[in-house]
Amino acid sequence: MSFREKLTSGKFTVTAEISPPKGTDITGMMKEAGMIKDVVDAVCVTDNQRALMRMNPLAACSALSHEGFETIMHMTCRDRNRLALQSDLLGAANLGIKNVLVMSGDYPTKGDHAGAMPVYDLDPVQLLGMISRLNSGFDLSGNSLLGKTDFFAGAVSNTELTEAAFIKLGKKVKAGARFIITQAVFDAGKFSGFMDKFQSAGGKQIRVIAGIIPLRSEKNAQFLNSNIAGVKVPDGVIRRLKSASSPGDAGIEMAADLIKELRGVCDGVHIMPVGTHENTRKLLEMAGI
Amino acid sequence: MIVSKQKEFRDILKTVKEKNIFIIGCGKCAKKQHLGGEPEVLEMKKKLKVSGKKVIGWTVLSSACNIGSWDEVLSQNPAVGKAEALLIMSCGGGVSIISSVAPQSAYPALDTLSLGGVCRDSVVMEQCNMCGECDIQFFAGICPIGQCPKGMRNGPCGGAMEGKCEVDERNCVWEEIHKRLESLGRLQLIEEIREPKDHSKRRRRD
Repeated sequence: MSFREKLTSGKFTVTAEISPPKGTDITGMMKEAGMIKDVVDAVCVTDNQRALMRMNPLAACSALSHEGFETIMHMTCRDRNRLALQSDLLGAANLGIKNVLVMSGDYPTKGDHAGAMPVYDLDPVQLLGMISRLNSGFDLSGNSLLGKTDFFAGAVSNTELTEAAFIKLGKKVKAGARFIITQAVFDAGKFSGFMDKFQSAGGKQIRVIAGIIPLRSEKNAQFLNSNIAGVKVPDGVIRRLKSASSPGDAGIEMAADLIKELRGVCDGVHIMPVGTHENTRKLLEMAGI
Repeated sequence: MIVSKQKEFRDILKTVKEKNIFIIGCGKCAKKQHLGGEPEVLEMKKKLKVSGKKVIGWTVLSSACNIGSWDEVLSQNPAVGKAEALLIMSCGGGVSIISSVAPQSAYPALDTLSLGGVCRDSVVMEQCNMCGECDIQFFAGICPIGQCPKGMRNGPCGGAMEGKCEVDERNCVWEEIHKRLESLGRLQLIEEIREPKDHSKRRRRD
C-alpha cells in the first residue's frame, strides 16, 4: 500500500527523515535508510535543510526508490524560481516520485553559503497552488502539459501558532496541501489543542503527521529550544533527561510513550532523530507499531 | 529615502588608487542620514589627507542623482576638472548619474541598502522593494516583500519564534500586518490567497 493510500485510508502512518549526503557518495544515506526499511511507510528526503548545501533531494529520492523505498521529496522555496521548481517537479514525476512536502526553507544566512541569493519567488501557499495546477495538466502560466503530474502534496506546520500563522496554515490547505507534517511535538496535551483547533477550522479532511524527535540528552534538548524554530521541549522533559542514568534511553522511552498517546489524536508520526536512525526501529517497536 | 551606509575607510583606500581626489556629497538622503553632508565630506577629506591623498576640492550637490549637466558642476567647482578621481558620498543612484556625465572615474563611498524612510527621527530601512506593482493596501500599508526577508505574501514562515523574525531580532512583519489589519477591521484581507508576483513589472526597460 502506498503512503498516500495508507494515510488517506485512515491507517496510522509512519515516516522518517533522511538527509542526502554532502558529496556524491550515497553509501551512508543508503545505510541510514536501510536501518528503517520495512518499519516506515515512506522516507522524507530533505532539501538543503538548515540552508546547508547537500545533494539534490530529487536525485536522492530517485536512488532510494531504486532500493524499494517510497519517498516524500522536500521542496523549499529558497533556492529556485518558478521555472526551476516546475521543471524539477516534472522531472520528479518522471522519476516516479509521488509525494512532495513544501516549505519556505531556512534563510541562507543560517547555513553554509551565507552569501547565496535568497530566491523565494513563490511562497509555500503559492507553490502548493502551482502543484495543484501541474496536477490538473497546466503550468503556472496556464500552458498545457504533455502529461500531467499526480503529486500528493503536503505542507509543514508548527503546532503552537499565532493567529497569523494559523490563517496561513488554512491557506496552505486551500491551495492544495493534503497532509501536514508538524514540527517536533513533546506535549501531547498541547498538540491535541492544536488538532482540535485545526479540525474545527475545516482541517478534518487533512491528514496530520506529528513530528517526533527522540531526545538524546538535556544538552540536546536545550540546543533544540534555542536553535530550532517551533521546537519547545517542556521543562518536565528536560528534568527527566537530566536525572536519567541513561538520557538516551529515557529519550526513546518518552518518544515511544508520546507516539502511543498520539495514536488516537492524529494520523501518523514522522521520526526525525538527531544523528542516525540506529534507534528508530526500537522506538517504533516500543511504541507498539 | 534611499538608505545607505558608510563603507569602511580602508576599503575605500583599497579601491581608489588615484592621488588627486574631488569629493562630492549629496544634499538629499545621504545628508539626512549624516553620511554625505558637509560634516561627513570634511571628515572624509581629513582622513584622505592623512592617508597621503590630495583632496583638491569638494562640494555637496543639492542632489547627486539629479544633475543638469557636467558643465554646470564644473562651472560651480572648477577644481573638479583637475581631479583624477571623484569620491561620491551618495547612494548608487548618485554615483551612476555622476559617472554618466563625468570624464573621470567615480568611486562610491557608501553602500546602498534599501528604500526606506525617516520616522520620528530614526531611519527605517526596507520599506519598499520597488517591485513595480504596488499592492500594499492588502497588507495594511506594511509591505511584506520589502520587510519580510523571505518576501512571504501569504503569511509568516515557520521560522518566526514568539513573533520574532528568524533572520534578525526584528518583529515578524506578518505579526505587525495581522495586528494592523485587525485594528483596521480588515482581517479578511489576510485570508485571501495572494498569487505569485509578476516580476516582469520590475526593472523593466521601456
